[in-house]
Amino acid sequence: MRLNIIIGGKAGQGINKVSQIVSNVLVGYGYFTFNYRDYQSLIRGGHNFNTLSISDVQIESHEARADILIALDERTIKTHRQALKKNGLIITADEFKNEGRNINISLAGALIKIFGIPLVELEKEIKSQFKEFDKAIISAKKGYDSQKIIHQLKKLNNKPSILSGSQAIAIGAKNSGLDLYIAYPMTPATNAMNELAKDQVENKLMVFQAENEIAAANMALGASFAGAKTMTGTSGGGFDLMGETFSLQGISEIPLTVYLASRPGPGTGVPTYTAQSDLNVALRAGHGEFPRVVVAPGNPTETIEKTSEALYLAEKFRTLSIILSDKHLAESEFSSVESSNKTPKFKIIRKIPGKNLVKNSSYETDKFGNSTESYRLTTENANRRLAKYATLKDFIKDKFEMIKIHGNEKSKNLIVGWGSTSGVIKDVIKDLDAKFLQVLYMKPLSNRIKKELQEADNVILVECNLTGQLGRLIREKTGIKIENRLLKYNGRPFHTDELKNLIEGMI
Amino acid sequence: MKPNLNTKSENTWCPGCPNHMILESVKQTIVKLIQSGKHKQTDFAITTDIGCHAKIFDYLNLSGINCLHGRAIPTAIGIKMGNPNLKVLTFAGDGAVYAEGISHFIHAFKYNADMTLILHDNQSFSLTTGQPTPTSQRGYISKSAPLGVFDKPMNPIKLALASNATFIARTNARDVPHMVETFTKAIAHKGFSFVEVIQDCLIFNPDANNKDKQMYKIKTNTNKKIAEKLADEFDYNSKRGKISLGIIYQSKEPTPEKKWPQLSELLRSKKLWRDK
Ligand SMILES: Cc1ncc(C[n+]2csc(CCOP(=O)(O)OP(=O)(O)O)c2C)c(N)n1
Ligand code: SF4
Repeated sequence: MRLNIIIGGKAGQGINKVSQIVSNVLVGYGYFTFNYRDYQSLIRGGHNFNTLSISDVQIESHEARADILIALDERTIKTHRQALKKNGLIITADEFKNEGRNINISLAGALIKIFGIPLVELEKEIKSQFKEFDKAIISAKKGYDSQKIIHQLKKLNNKPSILSGSQAIAIGAKNSGLDLYIAYPMTPATNAMNELAKDQVENKLMVFQAENEIAAANMALGASFAGAKTMTGTSGGGFDLMGETFSLQGISEIPLTVYLASRPGPGTGVPTYTAQSDLNVALRAGHGEFPRVVVAPGNPTETIEKTSEALYLAEKFRTLSIILSDKHLAESEFSSVESSNKTPKFKIIRKIPGKNLVKNSSYETDKFGNSTESYRLTTENANRRLAKYATLKDFIKDKFEMIKIHGNEKSKNLIVGWGSTSGVIKDVIKDLDAKFLQVLYMKPLSNRIKKELQEADNVILVECNLTGQLGRLIREKTGIKIENRLLKYNGRPFHTDELKNLIEGMI
Repeated sequence: MKPNLNTKSENTWCPGCPNHMILESVKQTIVKLIQSGKHKQTDFAITTDIGCHAKIFDYLNLSGINCLHGRAIPTAIGIKMGNPNLKVLTFAGDGAVYAEGISHFIHAFKYNADMTLILHDNQSFSLTTGQPTPTSQRGYISKSAPLGVFDKPMNPIKLALASNATFIARTNARDVPHMVETFTKAIAHKGFSFVEVIQDCLIFNPDANNKDKQMYKIKTNTNKKIAEKLADEFDYNSKRGKISLGIIYQSKEPTPEKKWPQLSELLRSKKLWRDK
């Protein structure tokens, strides 16, 4: 069972409220939801829409075609009419003009009735959200009474919970006992900062906005040196600015974890949309040669786990850990019944100022931490950094999940993908003869990837970028070129129905 | 027992470079602070920038980070957030702070972390062989600027005042007692203390050197109007104009270590983040 609802309107009209209320009611009724947010870089006006997908099984993607269109303005109808399925339904905000600020609650009421869910479920949700709920409940009932039941949903026993990728970053960081998050605002990384900032005092952590990303990264490094668990976060442009500091991390070996939430570049690109085009820069930012970890979760559960792993590895190996996400993962709302793996807990036990004399440097150093230009020490230090990477790689191989295999394990059709594209691939292959190799650790890269590629007859690479960056990485490490590529780079993620058609044509 | 601040590193400053005297003054200041029983040697954390001045990192047996060029200030602010109980000192040059890291300079005054910036101003990028910095005088000719500097120099004291600095001092790298006195007061100040050290470079930009005749000492000033006058007396350009030494401006503002509840709790309980 799958239903797809497009809810559109101007920025500021409250389309998110509609999808939020409806999602919460549905999840409470045992259904799984996935909410995709398509919004422009403006504060009022324009055209924004959410695509809310509903299913009785877990889903991590949305479809292009809609069963219902909720239009808060004219433009929504014009823009999305052609996406409406045959017999699809349009509900306009006009019908509830008199509800004023509560129009979106009436629209939510209309949807709840269409699904045949009892009104009390909606009333419960409204009471939990609003202090003054009397008027809201009247508006909800108006909406509810305006419709007939079309898709009768029966109550299910699932108990999913809703999370965005940004919330998951914050949960992972808190699970690991994060002390400081130091950043400069940049979509789509900012929501993670907001999440951490919310109850910072109660959570015994601090969120600080620096004057720019260069300051943020260097402050983070300074705080980490002083013995705090520290993280910074940004999107591509800010990440570029931090490059020199990553390099400083490499030589000073002060632990540093960075959250990189991508959006389409180059330049300012399409700032509120999505892309997987920053894998290359995540792998290579910073001059010189030094070890790093790049990990790319695909959904909120993995994001919680991989954020903790990144923080753990940064401290244990005194390395740079990069958590690579993107707008689609950071800002979509997933529902899931999965629980995350146990957090690898850690305490800072290295030497720290205040307790010891400890010197770290951007120069090559001698055993005291003072500058050296010795050719012998320069070689030794470089070799040590290389050896550290080898140890790190072995450790990750033993301890953490570097890849995942989904779908029919025996299939000779192999889809390769990563990050936010994983969700749609998982949903697509449910009814296909295909297996999906999801790459989670980009650096180090799992040795099992080569074997999987060799065993498959038909390999298809799926990524949201122009040049197939994971494909190139795999070719660099395995010598295998993946010829079949499905690449999308218009700022929008793959839709389930779209990708299914594409893959069906190739297997 | 006298704490040992020396290291085994070979000192590579030019013979006679006033940086040697800055180092000596810093050592005397910190030795006194340790001997007074107020602080332990491990309570100090320094950050240094990149340049001739930054070699001081290798010559001081203190915890710290030898940072990236231009970034010694934000790194120090980070250290202070990471442990507000540390005594944090930054050593940086005029190229480092007034060019590469200028944004951090201005924001440091706004944030007002309880730490000290010691700025070795030799009106030249010395380690990179003498290119002009924002405080180089007009007409300064160097290999990279054979036509000479066309612009009037920046006046960092005025910039600091405009940025709501709570402590601005100036001292002379040839006057050890005055440096010790000034550094001691700067470290004692609650908030971001900025000390500009007028430091001749013996190799590059010699025309900017030997300003001692212009210098005179002042008593601590807390009046903004007077501070503005003092800042105006020397424009970093001409050979004329009086150069006031001492505390040009000091005022009281709450520090972030008091304002942020998370930091003030660590300060009050003398705890580390990891013991929170
Ligand atoms: C990002 C970066 N840009 C440029 C340099 C080269 N560099 C090293 S020191 C320096 C200037 C130092 O001048 P200043 O801060 O005045 O220090 P001084 O050598 O005069 O003490 C420059 C430009 C660098 N190390 N890093
Ligand atoms: S070049 Fe100038 S600043 Fe650098 S050590 Fe020599 S005299 Fe000192």
